[in-house]
Amino acid sequence: MNTAKTDIVITGLSAISAAGVGSEALMEALRRGESLLKPVPDEILGEGGHLWAKADAFRAADFMPPLKARKFDRCSLLAVVAAGMALKDAAVTPGSLDSTRIGIVLGCGFGGISNAEQFLSGYFASGAEGLSPMLFPNIVPNASASNASIEHKLKGPNVTVVQRFCSAESAFLMAHRFLEEDRADIILTGGVDEVFPTMLRCFKAMGQIRNFGAGFGEGAGILVLEKASHARARKARTVASVGDIRTIGRISPGAQEEGLARLLPEPHRAEQISLSGTAGFDKWLLERLPDGPRIDIAPILGRSLAMGGLSLAALILMLKPGSPGLHLASSPEGPYFSIDLYGGDPVQS
Amino acid sequence: MEIVKQKRIAITGLGIFSAAGKDVPSFTRALMTGSSAIGPVDLFDVAPFPSGIGAQVRDFDPRDYFSRPDLGRLSRVDQLGLIAAGEALADSAALKHYSPYDIGVCMGAGASGMLECEQWLMQTMAGRKARPSLLRGVLPDRTSTSIAEKYNLCGYQTSITTACSSSASSIGWGADLIANGRLKAVLCGGSDCLSILTFSGFNSLRVVDPSPCSPFSLGRQGISLGEGAAFLVLEDEAEALRRGAQIHGYVLGYAVGGEAYHMTAPEPTGEDAARLMLQALERSGVSGAEVGWVNAHGTGTPLNDVVESKAMKMVFGERASQVPLISTKGLTGHCLGAAGAVEAMATLVALKEGMIPQTLNFRGADPDCDLDYCHLGPKKSAARVALSNSFAFGGNTTCLVLSGSDQ
Repeated sequence: MNTAKTDIVITGLSAISAAGVGSEALMEALRRGESLLKPVPDEILGEGGHLWAKADAFRAADFMPPLKARKFDRCSLLAVVAAGMALKDAAVTPGSLDSTRIGIVLGCGFGGISNAEQFLSGYFASGAEGLSPMLFPNIVPNASASNASIEHKLKGPNVTVVQRFCSAESAFLMAHRFLEEDRADIILTGGVDEVFPTMLRCFKAMGQIRNFGAGFGEGAGILVLEKASHARARKARTVASVGDIRTIGRISPGAQEEGLARLLPEPHRAEQISLSGTAGFDKWLLERLPDGPRIDIAPILGRSLAMGGLSLAALILMLKPGSPGLHLASSPEGPYFSIDLYGGDPVQS
Repeated sequence: MEIVKQKRIAITGLGIFSAAGKDVPSFTRALMTGSSAIGPVDLFDVAPFPSGIGAQVRDFDPRDYFSRPDLGRLSRVDQLGLIAAGEALADSAALKHYSPYDIGVCMGAGASGMLECEQWLMQTMAGRKARPSLLRGVLPDRTSTSIAEKYNLCGYQTSITTACSSSASSIGWGADLIANGRLKAVLCGGSDCLSILTFSGFNSLRVVDPSPCSPFSLGRQGISLGEGAAFLVLEDEAEALRRGAQIHGYVLGYAVGGEAYHMTAPEPTGEDAARLMLQALERSGVSGAEVGWVNAHGTGTPLNDVVESKAMKMVFGERASQVPLISTKGLTGHCLGAAGAVEAMATLVALKEGMIPQTLNFRGADPDCDLDYCHLGPKKSAARVALSNSFAFGGNTTCLVLSGSDQ
């Protein structure tokens, strides 16, 4: 059954993906429903026939001076820009609110690894003289969220999480709880990820390039979560409200039904369903879903570990005011998340 | 501040596998006697670096703990984590009391399986065919997934990756997961191991001391890296008492936040560190007067130690000199993603033993670090409450408020 709406609402969002920069570009891609994945250049994997979805339309120079952009890794660039867009969408003006009450909790899968590879490659090629200290600070997975917090002066809760294809959903749960606990008034949450050649080579080496490593994408989907009372007080527009968030880490052998019942209690009503991670492959989960139109952004924008941010943004954009939506995310062998959202403003709808 | 009423979060299981002790009893002995684990590192070639020392887990043959097929799947960081997690879960005996779906895992991660990935990259760059399984630990969530699989923990799972504050955050977040009823028991902590990436990286930033690190001392030159894993099992106190569990202590509360200042340098006034220490106390319902001592982040870098000392003065005011600010990194090395959990463990052990650990490797008094750091030896203490600070790249900060058991 759907649970009551919580006191947490969504007042803004942003999206950067292979569809382009901005939520309008995301919506247009969803309307068209055509794959935006492109061939991976043959020289990267030494063979053809593979696809990826780079956010080619994203140019950092459109948002900041090139010299400044150089100090960030690509994941950080995506996060810094997407966070700024989300704050703007939520009409949160830097300096107008207490910065210690605004936080950021992001899911990030491969953040920092590209920098780590470059850093180590320098060392393996040239010894200690090949080390580039400039690269090292951005090898940490939290570089993207932390750089976004530095750029936008967000001093509230600041956490980065990764948990396979449910990294953004795990972040969403944490952000929601932080607001419930009054650790902040506003939290930016969602996911950011990049795709780069060595990552695909690793997938190929591990035999995953034609399995769950196929068709990876990159981008950022960031939501602005806020306590409803806070949003009302500052007269913010509410685009959705949050219902229950359910999760299990994995299915216990011999107790599948108990796990399923916790994840997807029946009966459940949803007028729009979004699938994320590998949920589209999990027939046993799909069979339990309520009727209703489904959207899986992976065939359109590529799959990534933190794609849940973009998937949630897509669901919110498609939800009519007052209508219930369900977001289902999974990873091979877990974890699993299902999240209830309701379109529009809970007061008006 | 409107604080959601919290259940009291009991710590019912402890486990550690580190250079300073391969289980809780041996770690306790090392902490009591101040036996530093910092020494030569031979896990990889350290000759190119100004500093060749660290706190490496020694005399560790994974075959003593894992089957051959398992060893092919587990990175070093997975192995350390699985052993420490196993000790904590056995200590708590929580597994047989709850549905697997009511027990989760929430851990802090750092370099993760980078040690093995480095071998893959090095061999590939040399044109050799590298074993694909070396890449299994490339993502920081691998260890928590392995732990959940091994011990059939089927509740919420996550891996926090906020560099050096990762595992402190995992303990705070784990307490939240119990407080809001999402889980009945949670395994939280962290695991991290030495790697060429972190060893060369910190050396390239010139923040590694060629001698064992000497937090808050005159002439300190930086950190000594370390490795290890530490885990706690958390439960609602009422449930723990109902099932007759042993209670080692409590997570009274925590604060998590960012400085929004710089990726590597701490905010120099200490105001943000102080803000989060105060917030942690407020959220715990603990006054500054109740805090007996603080387990510092205390890396031994010149700037960090001064900033943390400044923050102490803002938090404790005139009483600051009476609240020892100690660092256990001279014992354990800086365990990065596992540091917060290893230090939470040290804090709990010391509270239980009624002592304040010594900050090792004193080289002389620094006029900019003018508090009590227990440089000359451990102190007896009847304190019930201590703070444990973790500061990280990116300005990520987590402060835990811990107490010993009531017994």
